[in-house]
Amino acid sequence: MSEAITVTGLQKSFGKTRALDGLDLHIDTGEVHGFLGPNGAGKTTTLRILLGLLRADGGEARVLGGDPWADAVALHRRLAYVPGDVELWPNLTGGEAIDLFARLRGGVDSTRRDELCEQFGLDPTKKGRTYSKGNRQKVALVAALASDVELLLLDEPTAGLDPLMEVVFQGFIREARVEGRTVLLSSHILAQVEVLADRVSIVREGRNVESGSLAELRHLTRTTITAETVTPADALAELRGVHDLHEMDGQVRFEVDGELLEPTVRRLAELGVRSLVAHPPTLEQLLLRHYGDDLDRRDSTTAGAAR
Amino acid sequence: MTTVTARSPASRATHRGGGGTFAGTWTLVGFMVRRDRIKLPAWALGIALFTLYYTMAVRAAYSTEADLRGVTQMIEGPMGALLTGPGYGLDAVNYERFFVSGYGLYVIMLAGLMSILLVSRHTRVEEQTGRSELVRANVVGRHAQLTAALVVAVIANAAAVLTATVIMVGVAGFAFDSSFLFACGVGALGLVFAGVTALTVQVTEYSRAAAGLAGVAMGAAFAVRAAGDVLDERGSILSWFSPLAWPQQSAPFVLDRWWPLSLCLGFAALTAAAGYALSARRDLGAGLFAVRPGPATAAAWMRSPITVAVRLQRAAVVWWTLTFVVAGGLFGAFTTSMADAFDELPETLLTALGGQQDVVDGYLGMLAIMYALTVGIYAILAVQGLRGEETRGRLEPVLATATSRWVWLGGHLAVVALGVLVILLAAGVGTAVGASVATGEWTTVGELVLAHVAHTPAVLLILAIAGLLYGFLPRLIGVTWVALAWGLLTGVFGPVLKLPGWTYDLSPFEHIARMPLEGFAVLPALVLTGLAVAVAAVGMAGFRRRDIHSN
Repeated sequence: MSEAITVTGLQKSFGKTRALDGLDLHIDTGEVHGFLGPNGAGKTTTLRILLGLLRADGGEARVLGGDPWADAVALHRRLAYVPGDVELWPNLTGGEAIDLFARLRGGVDSTRRDELCEQFGLDPTKKGRTYSKGNRQKVALVAALASDVELLLLDEPTAGLDPLMEVVFQGFIREARVEGRTVLLSSHILAQVEVLADRVSIVREGRNVESGSLAELRHLTRTTITAETVTPADALAELRGVHDLHEMDGQVRFEVDGELLEPTVRRLAELGVRSLVAHPPTLEQLLLRHYGDDLDRRDSTTAGAAR
Repeated sequence: MTTVTARSPASRATHRGGGGTFAGTWTLVGFMVRRDRIKLPAWALGIALFTLYYTMAVRAAYSTEADLRGVTQMIEGPMGALLTGPGYGLDAVNYERFFVSGYGLYVIMLAGLMSILLVSRHTRVEEQTGRSELVRANVVGRHAQLTAALVVAVIANAAAVLTATVIMVGVAGFAFDSSFLFACGVGALGLVFAGVTALTVQVTEYSRAAAGLAGVAMGAAFAVRAAGDVLDERGSILSWFSPLAWPQQSAPFVLDRWWPLSLCLGFAALTAAAGYALSARRDLGAGLFAVRPGPATAAAWMRSPITVAVRLQRAAVVWWTLTFVVAGGLFGAFTTSMADAFDELPETLLTALGGQQDVVDGYLGMLAIMYALTVGIYAILAVQGLRGEETRGRLEPVLATATSRWVWLGGHLAVVALGVLVILLAAGVGTAVGASVATGEWTTVGELVLAHVAHTPAVLLILAIAGLLYGFLPRLIGVTWVALAWGLLTGVFGPVLKLPGWTYDLSPFEHIARMPLEGFAVLPALVLTGLAVAVAAVGMAGFRRRDIHSN
């Protein structure tokens, strides 16, 4: 069994709302998989089905080789979950909650727990109702990361964390990967997924629209190039695959389709390059390509009007 | 952009009226009234209905002067004074005096409760949730929120005064002057606890603790008044140390004196002023005392889903148990007054209590079923609490551990069932000890305890029905209240209302033997318990099949 999570054609409706509409998801054992999509795309619904909290209307989901609905309890011994919105019991302390989750899963490694609390700067003696959003999230993260499990399901786990804590979090996820754990990281924070994920799946309106390694997905999008040339470079705008060319103070800036990068750079070199900066596509651009059709169109029309 | 700049001088002008630390008070008053547009009329209506019921029910139940004199004996004497007050006018009783002396205290306390919840809702709850931060970031003075909450409390209590007067004068046909005095006493006491709450919300960071502290103050006021009223007829000097005594000492329909109400107003002003003074000494969101840190690790015994259920239910069970021991003891001690009065009790009440011969046993049996019905409230609230765990998103991470739904729901229901048993046991022990102290008869203690515990299977069936609804249609748990109300209707009001026989069979409480009047019946207890287990099991099966809903 090389796939930790296999989802095919998953469907789920809430009344008239179609939350999932034939979603596919394949996650290999031992990889960190980014699960990207805007709010309401169906990420949390997918995670809840993978946890057996919701029952799918159609399609199939397998988690660690088991059926998430029927084998929920057995599977939960082997996985840990961090919800996007962590709610704690107002009259239990964070430490009590951590122990509780860990024990309900099968046992607590108290050294590991204390180390995590210290690294995340979490005071476990405070009552649940006094924690801020970020601290509630830390409680759930400590509980999940302290347990010895094969699979981590993380639903926007760092939405409330400060950048420093995010670095700590990234360290622990890398550690988890070295230890051979599988991580499903749902997020709309693109930078985080970019830093950690081996592969990503992009979901939109309940469907998987793109899947692959970041390198693979980059072929689908555009590289941004900023260059200073001896000869003016506006002629490049005529080339196939070049978009949004702007020239300013002898500098030219444009985007080029991934598969047409090579001929474009060849032409650029002929113009005498003084300086060159190329940005790989960011996940923002990847997402914009899938969700920003309207945005793209608006951009090109304004660009056209300017010309 | 230009519209915004054009508007700002105008909006500044509207705030010019209330400058300084009270800026924005009137806007907030309007906002709070708008937020409470359901709650405020509901409270006024509730107080009106309570007044209506007890003015009219007394008249309906004791339709002759002789009946009324008979029932008056129940609230005379030390036990009556303990529970109802100084008893002005009971020596020459009429319907007006009976209402004020017998039930007036509870109308008054209702207004106090309304004020406690209202003030804490608009002050500490807002701070705790962080909403006041948003509010205070606008042109709102430091004292505006507290002031606005107190203004709304004045409005709410004025509404209570109005509705109570209308009911007493317009519906019950009581004289205006004395009715208005009584109603003003209700409102004045409401203001006292608005002031007290304005003080307690400064002390602690948590709204529930703040409201609880004000509730404790009300309890203390009740205890001081009770002790004072027991010491002497018409109350002793000790009574006057309790705010609850002041409206009662205005003695509507007897002495009709207004000046004790000025004590209420003075006390309200004093406590509110103390609240203002303390609020100036603390930060927004903070209490006067720092929060105590809790344990960094979970206790060793908290390791299974069931022990977690115990931990989460513990506080509720402890409070219900304590309340029932005290209430059981008080009403148990009332037994002798009942026995003394039974000769002159009106026929309807006697029937309800099981006939003339066994009026003491009938009274104790009635207490047992009343407690059982009240414990039913605990059971339903506990299941609604489970739904809260689910909708607030606390169930989700628990079920994401190796905890099966079967164990989670089964564990919680089992713990609530155990709580039901414990609370009924507490009520039984309280009643048995209270009754035995009063009668000097200690041989019946065991039987009286059993009389209460015997109702457990009926309450368990109520719990199971709530569990069934939770498993299939969690939004409809409230339907269980109908089953409980049915039990109340048949069990307590059945004989008075002369309900047909089959209606009784529908209530689980009617299948339990009315001890100590009747002997304990094993079969119905077993059948009801079996039924409860079966219904709960079906509910759990339903819960295993449905989606978990959160947020």
